[in-house]
Amino acid sequence: YMQPLRAAPDQISEKVVESIKNAEEACADDPVSGECIAAWDEVEELSAAASHARDKKKDSDPLETYCKDNPETDECRTYED
Amino acid sequence: MAICTVYTTQSLNSTCSISTPTKTHLGFHHKQVVFYSPGKKASKRGAYTCNPYVITCAAAGGTVVIGLAADSGCGKSTFMRRLTSVFGGAAEPPKGGNPDSNTLISDTTTVICLDDYHSLDRYGRKEKKVTALDPRANDFDLMFEQVKALKDGVAVEKPIYNHVTGLLDPPEFIKPPKILVIEGLHPMYDQRVRDLLDFSIYLDISNEVKFAWKIQRDMAERGHSLESIKASIEARKPDFDAYIDPQKQYADAVIEVLPTQLIPDDNEGRVLRVKLIMKEGVKYFNPVYLFDEGSTISWIPCGRKLTCSYPGIKFAYGPDAYFGNEVSVLEMDGQFDRLDELIYVESHLSNLSTKFYGEVTQQMLKHSDFPGSSNGTGLFQTIVGLKIRDLYEQILASKAAAPVQATKAH
Repeated sequence: YMQPLRAAPDQISEKVVESIKNAEEACADDPVSGECIAAWDEVEELSAAASHARDKKKDSDPLETYCKDNPETDECRTYED
Repeated sequence: MAICTVYTTQSLNSTCSISTPTKTHLGFHHKQVVFYSPGKKASKRGAYTCNPYVITCAAAGGTVVIGLAADSGCGKSTFMRRLTSVFGGAAEPPKGGNPDSNTLISDTTTVICLDDYHSLDRYGRKEKKVTALDPRANDFDLMFEQVKALKDGVAVEKPIYNHVTGLLDPPEFIKPPKILVIEGLHPMYDQRVRDLLDFSIYLDISNEVKFAWKIQRDMAERGHSLESIKASIEARKPDFDAYIDPQKQYADAVIEVLPTQLIPDDNEGRVLRVKLIMKEGVKYFNPVYLFDEGSTISWIPCGRKLTCSYPGIKFAYGPDAYFGNEVSVLEMDGQFDRLDELIYVESHLSNLSTKFYGEVTQQMLKHSDFPGSSNGTGLFQTIVGLKIRDLYEQILASKAAAPVQATKAH
């Protein structure tokens, strides 16, 4: 069973950096233009996605992840009684 | 639980819902099984329409719908995890589907993210120069249609907004759950959607706290600086004030998060003053109170019976007016150090809708690692979760009672 690849946090990080650069450029001429505002909204969306990806990565316990796929191995077997 | 009774559909003509109420041994647990055939996909934007072979196993009387409104990065996901935990079982993304799906499914609850109803993707918004907060970037017709279908017990094909790519992905199949939570920026914006909600919550984070939280969230991220975080909040503020913030007047419960008043000039956002504003006169919802219902009370639990470290804890309770509505407000300023503080506080609150003494404390302990577990955000989110469980059970009971009465009348 192969899990489809999730976007790696590093990849989103790169997008965040890029979006901030874009937003700063878009706002250079006119700081209240629709273009500028939409650009900063994109930064927020990507920052939120990056933070979610980081949380997900942090939450995962290596042993638990392994045991989900291999519940029959010695280190994973648990009995109710 | 969740035993489904199978009904054979004899009439093959056009009737849509099969609602033969039968008295089960549990009295109010009417369930019906309805099958759907995966082969027969309905039109791309529509709900599964009536088809005798195609239906789902849903609680009779449809789905209870809860709306949760909050800005991005304001703890919606933590709230959702607390809420689903009250109903038992963990919430997980749909198995085997799109890995970037925003949906969370548990035994009783399905949480859908309203970003999935963006009518413009990231590139469309850029071109039209609008933010995601702008109603023009959202498809309220589809939102209404699908939430209504789910409420009526009909499965839907819901689009997926991919937060990583910024594109609208192929839709995913959503079955009608017992409890549907719609969370996002606009659950109460459109009146038709608002009218479908059985309960609504607004998470109101003050600007100071929002800024502090986003610094904590983003400063570690490459590219971000204090300036970029500030600029992002400032840029989105006009749209936020115009389209998101006004929704709080419709909410049955508002959780307001403010800087503490216990520490002068605190701007760390670690110690918080949190208010739970509860609308009076909402059906199936009895506001929580402290000591005496309807009085105005200020309470510092620290003293001989309870040791608190700096800056201590302060509670307040009282009636108030909120957007012309009568409300009850419960407030907590400060944070808990240890468990005995929480059980001591819980024992002085009434109308918590707990099933046993100490349930609030137990729920909080279960998720002591979630953000907000030591302050009022975690406490009030847990309480609202219990209130929603109570509301759900009351709606279920009343719906089960109604058809019985109808048959009696014949």
